Amino acid sequence: MDFLGVITSHYNAFLVGAAMTAVVSAVSIALGMILGLWLAFGLISRNRPLRRASAVYRSAWRGTPILVQLLIVFYLLPEIGLDVPPVAAAIIALTMNTAAFQAEIFRGGLLTIPSGQVEAARMLGIRVLRIRVRILIPQMMRLVLPALINETISILKNSSLISVIAVTELMRTSQQVVSVTYRPLETYMIAAVVYLAMNLVLARAGAWFERRHALAAR
Amino acid sequence: MSEEAESGTMEGKPVVLVEGLHKRFGATHVLKGIDLAVEKSQVVCVIGPSGSGKSTLLRCMAFLDRYDEGRVFIENRLLGYRETDGELTRDSERNIDSVRSVIGMVFQHYNLWPHMTALGNVTEALRVVRKLGRREAEHIGMEMLGKVGLNDKAHDHPARLSGGQQQRTAIARALAIRPHVMFFDEPTSALDPELVGEVLQVMQELASEGMTMVVVTHEMGFAAHVADEVVFMDDGEVVERGSPDDIFKRPRSDRLREFLDTWRSRAI
Ligand SMILES: Nc1ncnc2c1ncn2[C@@H]1O[C@H](COP(=O)(O)OP(=O)(O)O)[C@@H](O)[C@H]1O
Ligand SMILES: [Mg+2]
Repeated sequence: MDFLGVITSHYNAFLVGAAMTAVVSAVSIALGMILGLWLAFGLISRNRPLRRASAVYRSAWRGTPILVQLLIVFYLLPEIGLDVPPVAAAIIALTMNTAAFQAEIFRGGLLTIPSGQVEAARMLGIRVLRIRVRILIPQMMRLVLPALINETISILKNSSLISVIAVTELMRTSQQVVSVTYRPLETYMIAAVVYLAMNLVLARAGAWFERRHALAAR
Repeated sequence: MSEEAESGTMEGKPVVLVEGLHKRFGATHVLKGIDLAVEKSQVVCVIGPSGSGKSTLLRCMAFLDRYDEGRVFIENRLLGYRETDGELTRDSERNIDSVRSVIGMVFQHYNLWPHMTALGNVTEALRVVRKLGRREAEHIGMEMLGKVGLNDKAHDHPARLSGGQQQRTAIARALAIRPHVMFFDEPTSALDPELVGEVLQVMQELASEGMTMVVVTHEMGFAAHVADEVVFMDDGEVVERGSPDDIFKRPRSDRLREFLDTWRSRAI
């Protein structure tokens, strides 16, 4: 075992790879949140076609493997005239995937908010978008924070799959390190520790937010 | 000044006019042709057994529920629909908002927004609908909270307030947009008995200031004391209406007598 040797000789590569993993995941989660919010309101809409379309989207993206989604997006984009770098394809695929999962999380949270709160707002002349932004989303976010952290952790781990379309994130970096050091076990264990560390930070941040909100609500 | 001019043209015309209102939920016929007129500064109390359609009536009068037949006019403007050649088509959200902007509504379960302070609840519409600045909105907000006796609770969240204080906050919130008429749907039914009085007192003050009010209530004492007209509903119909004395001392129908008997035996 030569962990130290592998780390010291490829320290920078691991760092850059981890940064790529973090950025792709963070951007996908953030964009997925915007899409997921629209989708969640679609799922609970009174407009039947909109509700149906939202449900179809959600089922399709939750019901197929991320790896398949990733490859379809990667090969489809050039087909429709969009020549984007692999990292963009990766972000699009992860965004569209997490949007489906986040929408389902948000939908659950929204359903727990009594409809009377919305009726009171409507009686005061507050418009739909304002009601969502000022009344529904803030309450819902507190409720779903733990689930949202789980989803973020899941995307961070699943982002390792984007190595197959040649995005040099932590997983692909590790493969490259293996190909020059011939030390697969040490290399992948280092990668595992880096993933774990990032996820522990996330879990900690989530717990901190939850505590803070629990205090604020009192 | 302009408000006076406006009310001058309103002279004699009811603030709320309901004509032949019908409402169905699927196969259940909940409102079976309701007529109601509420004049300026009048207090109309609606009483009746549970399930008789009182809440549905109030909700249709605010277009929180769509009505199926008939008309609701708020200050002479048709609410919820546009009428062309006798045909009703649903109005735009903008027009609906505009017609009901003169209605303040108070619900049985307060429906406060729990993530905002009492003051935040009261100022929200002033900020996002009336587009007032923070200082101006909070000035009006404090004035409204003062009106319901809650100045010292302005910065508390609803969870820290008693039921009576929450309902008074909800009344202040509705008053902030300066409504011309207030709808109350059993505002004290969710309260512990010892907290009912403080809410009724605020409502009585409003009435004596000349606020036009429609109050669905089981508080017969309040109805007898404050109402100009009492409307008794049963099974989706107005069975009897009249002055509090007519209704409580000289009931004409069996259904009203029975309802009052049940209520009296429960009150003892
Ligand atoms: N959203 C709804 N869907 C179906 N039925 C309803 C709905 N709201 C009320 N009802 C029915 O309408 C009738 C009148 O209800 P409601 O107006 O709440 O009566 P009240 O306020 O006098 O107790 C009841 O039979 C109730 O079950
Ligand atoms: Mg009711």
